[in-house]
Amino acid sequence: MEDLAVQIVAKAQKLGCQDAVADLVHNRSYQIRFAQNEPVISNRWRESYASVFLVHDKRVVATDIKDLTDVDASLERLVKIAKASQRNPEYAGIAKGKFRYAPFRPDPKILALQDGSDYVHAAINGALAQGAKECAGSFWRYEDEHFLATSNGVEAHDHRASLYLSIRALLSLESSGHGIACATRLSQFDPEKAGRKSGRIASLAKDPKRGQGGRYTVVFDPLIFGSLTDQVAGRLSAYAVLAGFSPYGKKIGKRVASPAVTIWDDGSEESLARKKFDMEGVPTKRTPLIRKGILKTYLHNTSTAKRFKTKTTGNAGLVAPDPHAVFVKPGDWSRDEIFSEVKDGLWLTNTWYTRYQSYVKGDLSTIPRDGIFHIRKGEVVETWKDIRLTDNLVRLMQNVVALSDTTEQMMWWGEVSIPNVVPYALIKDVNITRSAE
Amino acid sequence: MDGEYDLVDYAVQYARQRGATYAEARFERQEPEQFILKNGTLDALYVGADRGIGVRVLAKGGLGFAATNTLTKADVKAVVDDAVKIAKAARRKTPITFAQEEAITTNWSVAEDTKLSDVPVEEKIAAFQAIDQSVHDLGFKIPARYFQLSCNRITKYFANSEGSRIHSYSPRLRTSFFLTVVNGADAEQSHREYGWSGGWEGIRELKVAERVTDEARSMQRSLLEGKKSPEGKMDLVVGPQVSGIAAHESCGHPTEADRVLGREASQAGKSFIGPDGLGMKVGSDVVNVCDDPTVEHAIAFYATDDEGVPARRRYLYKEGRVNEFLQNRETASAFGTHSNGASRAVNYNVEAIVRMANTFVEPKDHTMEELLDGVKFGVYMKSFMEWNIDDKRYNAKYAGREAYLIEDGQLKHPVRRTIVELTTPTFWSAVDAVGTDLEFEAGFCGKSDPGQALDASLGGPTMRLRNVYLR
Repeated sequence: MEDLAVQIVAKAQKLGCQDAVADLVHNRSYQIRFAQNEPVISNRWRESYASVFLVHDKRVVATDIKDLTDVDASLERLVKIAKASQRNPEYAGIAKGKFRYAPFRPDPKILALQDGSDYVHAAINGALAQGAKECAGSFWRYEDEHFLATSNGVEAHDHRASLYLSIRALLSLESSGHGIACATRLSQFDPEKAGRKSGRIASLAKDPKRGQGGRYTVVFDPLIFGSLTDQVAGRLSAYAVLAGFSPYGKKIGKRVASPAVTIWDDGSEESLARKKFDMEGVPTKRTPLIRKGILKTYLHNTSTAKRFKTKTTGNAGLVAPDPHAVFVKPGDWSRDEIFSEVKDGLWLTNTWYTRYQSYVKGDLSTIPRDGIFHIRKGEVVETWKDIRLTDNLVRLMQNVVALSDTTEQMMWWGEVSIPNVVPYALIKDVNITRSAE
Repeated sequence: MDGEYDLVDYAVQYARQRGATYAEARFERQEPEQFILKNGTLDALYVGADRGIGVRVLAKGGLGFAATNTLTKADVKAVVDDAVKIAKAARRKTPITFAQEEAITTNWSVAEDTKLSDVPVEEKIAAFQAIDQSVHDLGFKIPARYFQLSCNRITKYFANSEGSRIHSYSPRLRTSFFLTVVNGADAEQSHREYGWSGGWEGIRELKVAERVTDEARSMQRSLLEGKKSPEGKMDLVVGPQVSGIAAHESCGHPTEADRVLGREASQAGKSFIGPDGLGMKVGSDVVNVCDDPTVEHAIAFYATDDEGVPARRRYLYKEGRVNEFLQNRETASAFGTHSNGASRAVNYNVEAIVRMANTFVEPKDHTMEELLDGVKFGVYMKSFMEWNIDDKRYNAKYAGREAYLIEDGQLKHPVRRTIVELTTPTFWSAVDAVGTDLEFEAGFCGKSDPGQALDASLGGPTMRLRNVYLR
């Protein structure tokens, strides 16, 4: 089975393909969802499939072959479709191997973990101990193994495993908090801490009143700052720039954030998304995206890199380049100093439903959820609800005043789609609106 | 093919042997064919052949689900063992139960005038290149033209331990476009999406080519003639696209029973409507909002849901009051009622949960002229671009894409970025007249963990709202 990726590439070449990539994936992930302080369903997957990318005379096709007993027929069908397709003049090939990869093995204790119930209960108990009444969330043991082969000489293997827990604690419908735990070593996994944080925010958020629109200095908790940096990284894919989904077009070398902001993408650094290579087999590495507020590069595969007259950043997906994991360089402010700086402002802990009116301008709005706090002289004076952050992605990042000296790894359903390792952020002049009644 | 169905039957039978008090198995084959046409160039063609079996069991009061795409008896046995084991490990204080529903045996399919599989991919690509060319030929500055076509053929076989045996075939077509029209440093962007259950005739029926060029023209007009939208309290007439998104976001989602019960609290959120919220007044007497999986050719058409329960129309809001929750068997049991066939999964490898299908404002009797006739000063917001709503479904925002000033019942110049930022009761209570012109657009509805972005239709007629605050 491990040779199947190599066999797929060889067969594709025999069928006349100039370029071929095959990623044989074994997914053995396991999940417990919980709500109302109890597990509601447990899920386990035993899936094996091959993600395949073929190029025949500049005609690009992709597929996921789920029936691995009949690979030859699938490839023959795919090549036939490719021949009937059309050339993509922008296609510029895949990276040439061979490459050397950093040694990395998943924690055997995570691989051996069969039951996550104790972690779920630890998180729930952590939240309840802080005063929460209702907890919901998910525990994940991610495990996937990849055997990658390409027509340019790549033969690589990567076994990835990690633990993740997301918990939302509620006192009532409008008083809630959220906590996240991430680990690639079992010994580092602390779901109880995530539970405590969610419960603490929920308790602090009791009896909220409707917030007021206006411009505020805002403390962004790592979870909501992770949502912003997730947006930044996603919009820095060269594909997003070319398709009109980005405000960062023609901004390389320009200021797109405050000098306090340095962001890089890195699939090789410790995170839930740690991996040895991208879909072309290029070794993952640190790629500076924004350095001291200046945009350094977009994220590229070989084709988009050629279009922009640069080199691949090792971010190839099956078709388009994507970020692996986003890191924000911590600042030199303590968390307490950041809060103390706020004379009259807000502390936001989470958000969702970020949507754009104009991607090319970066005009967006997003809806804070969970604890929303009005701060005066560094202290929480009120809990708010029912507000919306209505601003501009580039402007928000340009208005970053300070970043905390510690970072946390965040990933959350939809909003923080990939791991973002981020500090607390202090952003000035943030536009807040609310619904009319 | 019989082998796969035999494996489904075997999974159900074996799960019962392993101690499951209830078991179901679902085989699903999906044959997607998708491509993106970016600025006239075929960017990527994806052709899939996805299939597998998912098994869900109740055991010792817990719910377990496991899935595999390796279709041997040994692998199916292994996932049944997985599902039973993890269900038992839940150690719940309150056992999960399902509402009792009739076992059914049926075989349903959606007809295709022109089978999706009979249309060569080159013909599909050519159709969209012609549409792209027609936009290009308008002569506007359109630096980004992005078209996507997704065809899918979904074959399912469902069996459960109560005797249900259901075969189904559902061909679907979805198309979306994203345009960026510029004028100097100014830009308008638009994203629209349409869906069809059926064959390739959907492209003709949906009038995709006409809609794309109309949209480009309106974007250009907004750029050249658009003025700032007025601010303050005034009347608002919203087009079908806006009615549809409002029906989906602030009627459909808050009436999902699993959300009401807190099962989605950590992800898609809860609802401003509590478990005892049936009868709550949220809109005016003219507001009826339905969810109906049986709307012919709507992209979320189905005859039975993924728990084997027959589909039917659900009146979510009736005469402005909360009338019915969307239920699956688990939530129906908690509410002491029956499922209304709202359980769906995006594929074989995820559990079926409570989902909307085709959600729409029920049309009434006003023509467009009659709706405008009563407006002295206001805005006609035909479509939107940006939108969002909070996780309790109470605070929604819709930002106008195509909108016009109304004066003395007449449409005037385009206005740009009209902001409708209202609470759910404020929005629906302001509706005083509903039009006849029901239209649907398609959307992906996001929910669950792992995320299930599922086909949904969002529809409605033109509606008039009185005296609401706009920016």
